[in-house]
Amino acid sequence: MRQKMLSAGFALALVGGLAVGCGDGGGSGGDANEISIVMSNHPWQKAIEPLIGEFEKSSGVKVNVQTFAEQQARDKISLTLQSRSSSMDVFMTLPSREGLQFAKAGYYAPLDDYMSKSGSYDVADFPAAVKTGMTVQDKTIAAPVNVEGVVLFYNKDLFAQYGVTPPKTLDELPTVAAEIKRKSAGKVTPIALRGQSAALPFTFGPFLHSQGLEWTKPDGTPNFDTPAAADVINRYATLARDFGPPGVANNTFTQSSALFAAGNAAMELESSNEIGSVNDPKTSKVSGKIGVLDFPAGSAGSKSTVLNWGIAMSSYSKNKDAAWKFIEWATGKATQLKLTEGGIAPPRTSVAQDKSYTDTLNTDTLKEWAAALANVQTSGSTEVGPVGVAAPEMRKVVGEAVGKVILGQSDADTAAKEIQTGLTPLLAKNAG
Amino acid sequence: MGDLMTKPSATPGPVGAGPAVGTPPRRRRRRVDPTARGVLPFALPAVLATAVLVLVPIGYTIWLSVSDRQADGTNSGFLGLANYAEMFDSPQFWSSLKITLFLFVVCLLLETVLGLALGYVMSLDVPGQRIFQGMMLIPAITASVAVGLVWLLIMDPTLGAANQILGAVGIDPVVWLGDPDVAPWAIALVDIWQWTPFMALIISAGIRSLPEEPFEAAALDGASGWRLAWNVGLPLLRPVLTVAMLLRTVDLVRFFDTIYIMTQGGPVNSTNTLNVYGYNAGFVDNQPSYAATLQIALLALVIMIAGLFTWFRQRAAR
Repeated sequence: MRQKMLSAGFALALVGGLAVGCGDGGGSGGDANEISIVMSNHPWQKAIEPLIGEFEKSSGVKVNVQTFAEQQARDKISLTLQSRSSSMDVFMTLPSREGLQFAKAGYYAPLDDYMSKSGSYDVADFPAAVKTGMTVQDKTIAAPVNVEGVVLFYNKDLFAQYGVTPPKTLDELPTVAAEIKRKSAGKVTPIALRGQSAALPFTFGPFLHSQGLEWTKPDGTPNFDTPAAADVINRYATLARDFGPPGVANNTFTQSSALFAAGNAAMELESSNEIGSVNDPKTSKVSGKIGVLDFPAGSAGSKSTVLNWGIAMSSYSKNKDAAWKFIEWATGKATQLKLTEGGIAPPRTSVAQDKSYTDTLNTDTLKEWAAALANVQTSGSTEVGPVGVAAPEMRKVVGEAVGKVILGQSDADTAAKEIQTGLTPLLAKNAG
Repeated sequence: MGDLMTKPSATPGPVGAGPAVGTPPRRRRRRVDPTARGVLPFALPAVLATAVLVLVPIGYTIWLSVSDRQADGTNSGFLGLANYAEMFDSPQFWSSLKITLFLFVVCLLLETVLGLALGYVMSLDVPGQRIFQGMMLIPAITASVAVGLVWLLIMDPTLGAANQILGAVGIDPVVWLGDPDVAPWAIALVDIWQWTPFMALIISAGIRSLPEEPFEAAALDGASGWRLAWNVGLPLLRPVLTVAMLLRTVDLVRFFDTIYIMTQGGPVNSTNTLNVYGYNAGFVDNQPSYAATLQIALLALVIMIAGLFTWFRQRAAR
């Protein structure tokens, strides 16, 4: 009998966690001059954390920082917002991913009034595309903190050693990869790229856009019922399966950059942001030997994906004025200029053109990097994945279907059909 | 439950202090009379705490599962069993159930068999036995997050130690976590590494407390070695073994932590257990009601399996 009660007790304890998480928790607002920030482990977070002390001194606002790995940060932010808790005032957000979803749920406190009232903020300094990315239904939901996009890193030493020319087009990419595989007798991974389902669309999108395709048709339905879409899936999956690292289906930027920094991968298809880690002599064996290229051109040219992270104010914050003070400082001109020292590409035009910043781009690697990033900004698509309220789920649909082709469980035609049927009901939610 | 209900003996003590006065030989049968005045207030805090911490969350989760709670915290009200219909229609649910049961069966079986062997070794009185026992506990008391992170490094296909060791003895590298056919086994391996010593500890304590007489009697009848262990030792050990297995069962059916750290259910859902699936539904896809439905299904599964165990155990005891 006691055993039965014991097992029942164990079982009952199970559901506790979820239910408590969904409760309409309050959470203490704390002192009016104290704010809490939740950040994702990201180069911007690493660059700004050491500067926060200066803000605390000048503003008198105490800042509590909580940092988590990307997925855990999302979970924490999502949980805090779902429970309408005031325990978090400011959080890092990816408007291209969760913007619509969060805005529809009322999680963002609009920043328009704060921005227009601030004398020195200068909203016009952000390029129009960046501002549009931070806007949902005419409301500014976040302030941009960086700009990044998909570029192709390559290891100059390995390319010289094998006498290979870096690829300029999508057609050349597999040929170059095959040559490296052959000449290194399989010892070097030709290209590190993403395979993990939720993360894959970011590096998959440029293949689609560079072949002149979009995620969706003009009427808002999925655009995967064409042979061209299946061809793009085939290109990506072949590259990953035949020339990617072992276990690529589970990889995202952390694994890709670890391989590239260890000198085990000849190319890495990743965010321009990764320059901070792969070119850091303290953590990378290939620092100073890196070349940076535009995303290889397809039939429609080189069309990368451009992405801005933002910081947003929780609509459940009880210290909104102090929270704004932080956002104003963190995304103001002076701070963004300082952040460039940490390798953060500035979203503000005035900072991007500031001589004290451009002068620091003084190595071949950094010059190539800046040029590739400029191309990302002028011709990149802002649609990281299919756009909509169910964006995170839609990315998983795309990632899982392509992942199955990478693993040889399915072929490109089947995957295209799977994406088409998987996205249809999720995109239909946008109408509601 | 029977003896809990037993009334105190014919001569009740002063109200509220009943059990204090009693005749020594019957002492073990005596219980506080729950209906006696003055007793209830003392039990109330425990009852309330249990209700708040256990029943309320379960009730709330059940409510979530039959209603339509939105990500913004509003609830559009009663939905009936729509979420359950969605769940039973979802191929992902059935594949998650399969993975959950696969990990449960493989891990429990191997942890029990290896735990028996290791537990027997640990029950022997040899020099250094206590140090060995202490060391064996380390995996079980290490936080699962740390265990997951370390194994993630070990199992990295290119840079990890596992493949370097295999390579040194001439075995081809294994894609531990990136191959859907291997990943569930790799996850099982980590769990077996972490929890076999725990099983062994319980079992060795059980072996040490076994009475010697049955063994001596069987030995006199001519039994020895395996026969002794199989026909005498194992049946005597059964109560201890079922408790240890039940503890692991409850953990295994709701397998979450190391998977979440190591694969987050990937590659392409090959390690997506029910619990990981439910978590992602709640916190990535922002569908609290559907997530609650999955958690209720998981709860039902745990109760079913634990119930089966208890039933087997009671049947064996008879």
